[in-house]
Amino acid sequence: MALNGKQKKLLFTNLVRAHALDRMMMRIIRAGKMVGFYHEGGIALAPGVAAGSFLRQDDAMNPHYRAHGLAHMIGKGVDLRTYVAEHMGRVDGCCKGRSSFHVSFPDHHIFGWSGNIGANFPPCIGYGFAARYRGTDQVVMNCSGDGSYQEGRAHEAMLMSANWKLPHIFWCENNGISQSTAASETFPVQDVSRLAATFEIPALIVDGQDLFACGEAALKAIAHARAGKGPFFVELKTYRSQEHNVGGLNNEGAVTRDPKLMQEWRETLDPVALAAAKLIKQRLYTADEIEQIKADAEREADEIELFCEASPKATPSIDELMNGVYAQ
Amino acid sequence: MNAKGQDKMSTTREITLGDAMKEALAEEMRRDEDVFLLGISIRAGTFLYTKGLVDEFGGKRVIDAPLAEPGNFGVAYGAAQEGLRPVLDWMYAGFSYFAGSEVFLQSGQYHFLHGSQHPLPLTMIGTCGVGRRVGNEHATLPYGALIHHPGLKVCLPSTPYDAKGLLKSAIRDNNPVFFLWHTSLMATKGHVPLEDYVVPLGVADVKRAGSDVTVLASGLQLHHSLKAAEALKDEISVEVIDPRSFEPFDLDCLLRSVEKTSRLVIVDEDYERAGFAAEVCALMMEKGYDLLDAPVKRVCHPNMPIPGGYIDAYSMPTPDRIEAAIREVCR
Ligand SMILES: Cc1ncc(C[n+]2csc(CCOP(=O)(O)OP(=O)(O)O)c2C)c(N)n1
Ligand SMILES: [Mg+2]
Repeated sequence: MALNGKQKKLLFTNLVRAHALDRMMMRIIRAGKMVGFYHEGGIALAPGVAAGSFLRQDDAMNPHYRAHGLAHMIGKGVDLRTYVAEHMGRVDGCCKGRSSFHVSFPDHHIFGWSGNIGANFPPCIGYGFAARYRGTDQVVMNCSGDGSYQEGRAHEAMLMSANWKLPHIFWCENNGISQSTAASETFPVQDVSRLAATFEIPALIVDGQDLFACGEAALKAIAHARAGKGPFFVELKTYRSQEHNVGGLNNEGAVTRDPKLMQEWRETLDPVALAAAKLIKQRLYTADEIEQIKADAEREADEIELFCEASPKATPSIDELMNGVYAQ
Repeated sequence: MNAKGQDKMSTTREITLGDAMKEALAEEMRRDEDVFLLGISIRAGTFLYTKGLVDEFGGKRVIDAPLAEPGNFGVAYGAAQEGLRPVLDWMYAGFSYFAGSEVFLQSGQYHFLHGSQHPLPLTMIGTCGVGRRVGNEHATLPYGALIHHPGLKVCLPSTPYDAKGLLKSAIRDNNPVFFLWHTSLMATKGHVPLEDYVVPLGVADVKRAGSDVTVLASGLQLHHSLKAAEALKDEISVEVIDPRSFEPFDLDCLLRSVEKTSRLVIVDEDYERAGFAAEVCALMMEKGYDLLDAPVKRVCHPNMPIPGGYIDAYSMPTPDRIEAAIREVCR
C-alpha cells in the first residue's frame, strides 16, 4: 500500500520526535533521575513509529517495550508527559508513580503492561475477541521483539487469533537478539515470521530501517485486520546497536559485540537520515524544513522533561495506596 | 444443610449446587449482554453447571476454548479491559497454575499498578478439593496462594444458596474474582429461592450456633465440621462459621463468635503451611488474643503433596479429626 506525501511527512515527524524522546530518556537516566530501568531505542525506532501512526484511538495497542514504547505511542496521541513522569516516580505519572515503567492509557486502548516478556500476547487475543464480540472494526496492534516469540504464549495467540479470525496484528520487531542471545541460536528458522505460516497467517518481512517500508506494511496489516480477514504478521528487521538495558552488557553469548560494528550500524543504518534523504529527493521537505522538525522535536522533549521535573515525587500514604487495590 | 437467610424468601425449592451455579450464570447472562462464558469443553458441560447454556445463549457467548490456559486467560482479561464481563472457567482450579503469572501477578494487580483507574470485571471459576483420589493437579485448593497475592477476591461456597448468590456477586463485581467450588459438593442439594438475590463477598455465615467453641470451615469441610458438631452435641456446644469468601474476609463475624466461645478450631483442606488457616491464626493473635482461653487449633492437609489413590480419604481433614481437635481445645 503506497504512502502519500502527507503520510510520509507524518511518519517522519513522528520518527524525529521519537528520537528526541529516546535521547531525553537517556539524559534523564544518566542524570540519575529515572527510578527504574530504560531500554534504549537507538536506531530501532522506525517500526514502532509506523505501528502507531495510522491507528485510531479505539484500536488497541501493545507497544513494544524497547524505548519503552515511546515511538509506538507518539502516533497514538497519548499524553506522553504522564508516561515520562511515571518513569520519574511523579504524581502526574500515568500510573500515579506506582509502576516505574508501565503504560496505562485506557482511553486510548493501551491498557497496561507486565514485566514479563510475552505477557502481551494473551491480552491482545482478548482485545481482538472483544472487537469481534461487539461487531466493531477495531484492530489490535501487538508489538514486541523476536525474544517474545520464543514464549509459548506467542504461539497460543497465533493459534487462537487465526482460528477465530481476530483482527490481531503481530508486529515483530526483530533485532536478531534477545538480551544476550542471538535469534539464530534460539529459532530453528531464519525468519520469525515463518512461524506464522503454520497458522496460515499472512506475513510480510520488512526492512525496519526503512521508515516508509514500515509505514506501508502498517497500512497493509491494518487494512487486512480491519476488513475482518483475520490476523496479519509483520516482521521488521532491525538492529540493537547498544547494550540491552542502560548500564547492562552488550554481549552475544559470552562475547562482547564489536563496538566498531555497532558504530558502523549507527552511521549507516540511522532511519532518520535514510528517510530524510528520501524526503529531500522526493521534494517533500527541504533540508531547512527538516532542521525545523528536529528543533521542534527537541523543544517538545525539553518541555516534557521540565513538566516532569516540576511534578512532585509521588509519596502517597499507605492508606491511600490500600484504597487503590480494588476498584469500586 | 441449613443456610441462613433463605427462610425470608417466599418461594424456594431444593436444587443442587451445580444447578444453582447454572442459574446464576444464566440469569446474569440474561441480565447483561456483556457477560460471556469461556472454558475448555464447556458446551458439552464437563461439569453440570455449563451443560445446556449454549442452547439458550449460542456459541457466541458460550465458547469452547482451546487447551491454552494463558491464552484463555488473555481472552477474559483483554475483553474485561475492553469493558466486557467475562466468566472464565478453568475446569479444575489447579489448571489455572498453567497461567500462573497471569493469575497471581497480573489479574489482581493490574488495577493498583496502573494507577487504580480502570476496572477489571473478570470472574474465574475452578473446582478443587481432596477426596476424588486423583492427586494434586485436580485437587489442589488454591485460595491460600491466591489471597497471598493482593488484588484478587476469592470465595468458596458450601451450599447451593451461597453458590448462586456468591457467583452473582462475583460476576457483578468490578474486580477479578476467583469463584472456587468443591468437587465433592456438585450434587449437594439445598434450598434456593426463585427471586433474584446475591450473597455479598466478605460476609461470613454462622451455619450452626453454639457457645463453647468456634469452628471456622469452608466448602466440604463446612459439612465435615457440622457432622463433628452434631456428634458432639450432648457434650460440647459448637458454633460453625463459614467465611464464604477468603478475601474479603469477615474477621468481625469470627471475633464476635470467639468473644462468646473463647475457643477456635480452623479447618482447612489446603496444605497447613502458610495457608488460610495460618493467616487466620495470625489475625487472631493480633486482633483476638484477649478473647482466647486456649491456643487456636488447625486441622489441615499435612505438608505433603495431595496424594491420589485411597490415601486421600485420610490425609484430608475428616469429621473424626475435627472432633478430636474440638475436644483438644475444650479440655
Ligand atoms: C518472562 C520473562 N523472561 C525473561 C525476561 C528478561 N528479559 C527482559 S527483556 C529480554 C529480551 C527480550 O528480547 P526481545 O523480545 O527480542 O526484545 P529486544 O530487547 O531485543 O528489543 C529478556 C530475556 C523477562 N523480562 N520476562
Ligand atoms: Mg530482540
